[in-house]
Amino acid sequence: MLSIKNLKASIEDGTQILKGINLEVKPGEVHAIMGPNGSGKSTLSKVIAGHPAYHVDGGSVELNGKNLLEMEINERANSGLFISTQYPTEIPGVNNVEFLKMALNSKRAFLGQPEMSDEDFKKLCEEKMNLLEMDERYRERGVNDGMSGGEKKRNEILQMAILDPKVSFLDETDSGLDIDALRIVANGINHIMSPEKAVILVTHYQRLLDYIKPTYVHVLRHGKIILSGGPELALKLEDQGYDWIEEAK
Amino acid sequence: MNAEFIQNLPTAEQAIARLRELGMPKRNNELWSFFPVAKIPTPEFMGTNFAASPATSPAAPTAATATTAAPANQETDFAALLPIANNARPMIREIVAGAAEMAMLKCNNDFGHTVLDIGKGAKVSLEILDNKVTHDIAAERFDINVGENADVEIFFANPACDLPLRFRHFNIHEAAGSTVRFSSICKDTAIGRVSIECHLKGEGANFDYRSLHVLDGEASQHSRLTIYHEAPRTTSTQLARNLLSGSARVSYDGSVIVGYDCTGVNSSQLVNTILMSEDASVSVKPVLKIYHDDVECTHGNTVGELDAEQMFYLVSRGIPKKAAQEMLMRSFAQETFLPLPDSPAKKRLMAELGVR
Repeated sequence: MLSIKNLKASIEDGTQILKGINLEVKPGEVHAIMGPNGSGKSTLSKVIAGHPAYHVDGGSVELNGKNLLEMEINERANSGLFISTQYPTEIPGVNNVEFLKMALNSKRAFLGQPEMSDEDFKKLCEEKMNLLEMDERYRERGVNDGMSGGEKKRNEILQMAILDPKVSFLDETDSGLDIDALRIVANGINHIMSPEKAVILVTHYQRLLDYIKPTYVHVLRHGKIILSGGPELALKLEDQGYDWIEEAK
Repeated sequence: MNAEFIQNLPTAEQAIARLRELGMPKRNNELWSFFPVAKIPTPEFMGTNFAASPATSPAAPTAATATTAAPANQETDFAALLPIANNARPMIREIVAGAAEMAMLKCNNDFGHTVLDIGKGAKVSLEILDNKVTHDIAAERFDINVGENADVEIFFANPACDLPLRFRHFNIHEAAGSTVRFSSICKDTAIGRVSIECHLKGEGANFDYRSLHVLDGEASQHSRLTIYHEAPRTTSTQLARNLLSGSARVSYDGSVIVGYDCTGVNSSQLVNTILMSEDASVSVKPVLKIYHDDVECTHGNTVGELDAEQMFYLVSRGIPKKAAQEMLMRSFAQETFLPLPDSPAKKRLMAELGVR
């Protein structure tokens, strides 16, 4: 499904952040990526999405056999990639619902499907907002405008639910969430997840993984995945931190 | 009717005499620093010989000017005098105290002069429509006296006007507790200038200015505001936003003057410009003259391109780049008027920006 091979990327001043990432994600899998601050987790998501601040030095990223790195940013999204960043951007003045509708219909146009009618879109929106226990105020607000950290993360998952991507890369979706919001967001992700889809979660804490059971856990450090394992790895990291990995080497 | 306000307006003879004194606008006059003054045709009454002479050598005052009341003689803005000097017949209208009125103004000549005397506590919504243009230049002047606690909105959101040269001048006097909201959208394709002199004469008077220029091609639009805080606890807000493409040019010359003994004044000025092309340009000149300590006055100016992170966010959700740009431009534009209270002005301006 998503195949990342020897991905290397740097920022404008030439500093290489990703130094050869390899990751295979199959349908139905949940991958958790953990690692200390500054290890390259957020960079990985942005490079895959095509953020212009990063330069790909080498490697490939394929989604169902198509090279994402050769696509425009919007084409990557419309091909089934969804990236939720750690700090969702605020766009005052762009209405949440209009934005969602535009995004959904852009995807449908890309896939050769007709525009969704206003009525059908309203129903879809209501269904997903109910799933995430979001109130009507979200409809009237600007995209992430003036929202708390938790509200922004919930809004991101609403987008994910509506756009129905094949692979979702969620960067610290649990940050800024209180206990109830964490449960609601995690339930939403589980509900959206299916055997045909995959999710990559970046997180620092086990608490999110209590709700969303990972198939694999990876440790990213210094721009490389240095260790992979099952769900038990996350528990060990929570308990012992990251230094033991370096020491064991 | 406020007789003093009406009497202080210049007559045609006084205006002509004053224009002869001032001479044609020149770039070294701070009121016209940014304006393409060479595009202004010399009015017949000024004479070609006179127009060629320096503005520092005014003609001798005529009998009319010698006896003119001080306000007419002190007028320094060419655009304020031009309609009157061109014999624009004043349309004088009184709106009585406590009245609620919605009106549309449309001048049917190249030169227009409107005088409004708005009574205490009146609530007025005034839309200004484009005038009928048959010549190379159009100039309108509006003298508006606002009574105590009156609430007035003045707005225009006209479709792109292609007349070669247009001036609009507003002379606004506000009494205690009154509010004037001035809002405009300009998509004109040629050269224009809006000048406003607002006198906040009574305690607690408020002036709110919002303008949006969406320009392309060779359009050249200029704004000049002077807000006089002449009483305590008066407030003013200026928000000017510009979306400029092609070789479009905008200038904003905004002055705030706070008088002696005007305690508790609050004034803000903010100009935000997005340049969509390399050849588009903006010039901003804020002026603050403050003669009292207990005041809060701010000014700011930003110039840039569309926000790169916002663009990335929209495009990363599958929206094509061009559509994302349009969404951001629309939101930038709409934000100008979002803080306005629900009113005919807000409805009209937002409709012009595609909000139904």
